[in-house]
Amino acid sequence: MILPAKAFQRWLQGIAPDASTADVCRVSGIKRTTLAQQLVRGKVSVTTVVSIARAYNVNPVAALAYFDDFRELAGPLPPPTRCELISQISTPDLLQAALARPAMDTVGKPGPQPPALSPTPHATSVKNWVDAIDDGEVRHRVSAATGVAPQNYSAQLTANRLSPELALATSRAAGVGPTGGLVATGLITEEEAGWPPGARQAALDSMSDGDLTTLAGDRLQSLGKVLRRQEQDQAQTEKIWENLG
Amino acid sequence: MIEILQWATLAVCGLTAIARVPSLLRGENRSPFYIFALMTLAILLSIEAPYVVIDQALGGINLANLLLRFVIFATIFFLGIRVTKGFGAEGAYRLITGRAGMIVLLAISVAMVAVFFLMDTAGSSAGLVGPARRDARNAVLVEYYGAAGRAYPSYISLVLLPAMVRAVRSRLPILVRIAAGLLALGGIAIALSLLFPFIPRSWDAVEFVVNYTAVLCFVIGLALIWAARVQSSKSVRRQGTSTEK
Repeated sequence: MILPAKAFQRWLQGIAPDASTADVCRVSGIKRTTLAQQLVRGKVSVTTVVSIARAYNVNPVAALAYFDDFRELAGPLPPPTRCELISQISTPDLLQAALARPAMDTVGKPGPQPPALSPTPHATSVKNWVDAIDDGEVRHRVSAATGVAPQNYSAQLTANRLSPELALATSRAAGVGPTGGLVATGLITEEEAGWPPGARQAALDSMSDGDLTTLAGDRLQSLGKVLRRQEQDQAQTEKIWENLG
Repeated sequence: MIEILQWATLAVCGLTAIARVPSLLRGENRSPFYIFALMTLAILLSIEAPYVVIDQALGGINLANLLLRFVIFATIFFLGIRVTKGFGAEGAYRLITGRAGMIVLLAISVAMVAVFFLMDTAGSSAGLVGPARRDARNAVLVEYYGAAGRAYPSYISLVLLPAMVRAVRSRLPILVRIAAGLLALGGIAIALSLLFPFIPRSWDAVEFVVNYTAVLCFVIGLALIWAARVQSSKSVRRQGTSTEK
């Protein structure tokens, strides 16, 4: 999503009143040419605002809420739902947690304590997030609300990407808090989103052995599908090289 | 204009064939070299000056034109085999090498040779322009002869087309997909050449443009696949060294 440069200048004035563009770039680590180009074109990217906000110790969520398109981020935000939290746990973490459950061992002994959860986002976080909040119609509603074709939307999910605009539209369509998609896409951290510390771990611990094992199995299955498709593509490519390369 | 197109096409084909010599000498995947070499020979035989020289050596009765037709048949046959094998189009492969393909090839070849010897073909002239002007009967026979010569390449092109369209829409590397698109475009151009008898005489230039578009599409398409292979083997090597460190 693109933010208007005028609003950006006003916002920047608010958090760093005396800083020059060069200062802002130095502090936030943005390339000067990049920011200059965005300002000239009148369109500032969302990641620019997030980087600058972090550099000046402003919460990125609060910073984004300043802009019209992100108004819904202002004010008290609803906490993430349990399934959103679990969707943001990586597949390896889920598998390790499943292995550590006593139910997984024939003699009923728990496995070694799994390591702490890896930080968000993970390799399939965007797709898992949408799947977690999807009542079966969410994709259609997002597509109808934003005008983005369903196949383009799906392509973004498969590539583990989602524009902030679509992330917000998806939250809205699913009736969940607006931060989930921004965390899943890695734009902001769970801490910046105001998720309680340890919320993902707590959600994971509250899962029954059966639910956890089934979920881990589902994740493994879709990972297997992706890997197998990659292998098929690779084999096909090799065959072309062999015959025509 | 047409001369420039002809010589430029010859140069592109010749240089691509020469570029394949090192891998030919290393003994890896010889067939692309032979395809490029045959294409170069075919283009050489389509240009007036070299055509006349070669035909004079063959007796001056336009045997070189018959040779050209069979060179084209051989090129398109081997090209069809490699492409269908590479892209895993088994149905298309059978249509080329199976009984149907052989019957088509044999029938067209017999018809073409028969018509050739029915004509009064004295007097070297590329494209048989001279004999065609001699009398009405010869003009009609030249038209039939030309149609027979274009029939087999058109058959192969149409057989390849579905597989190429599928490859364009696949998840193969982008260069390979562009190459498949070019091969499809070349195939369409060749198939369009079947309509030549129906276009007015004054549009001769269109025929040249269509013919050379087809050849250039094929050559550049094949060269792109090769380039894609070189590129991918380079990136694999780079990955290899970075993991060794």
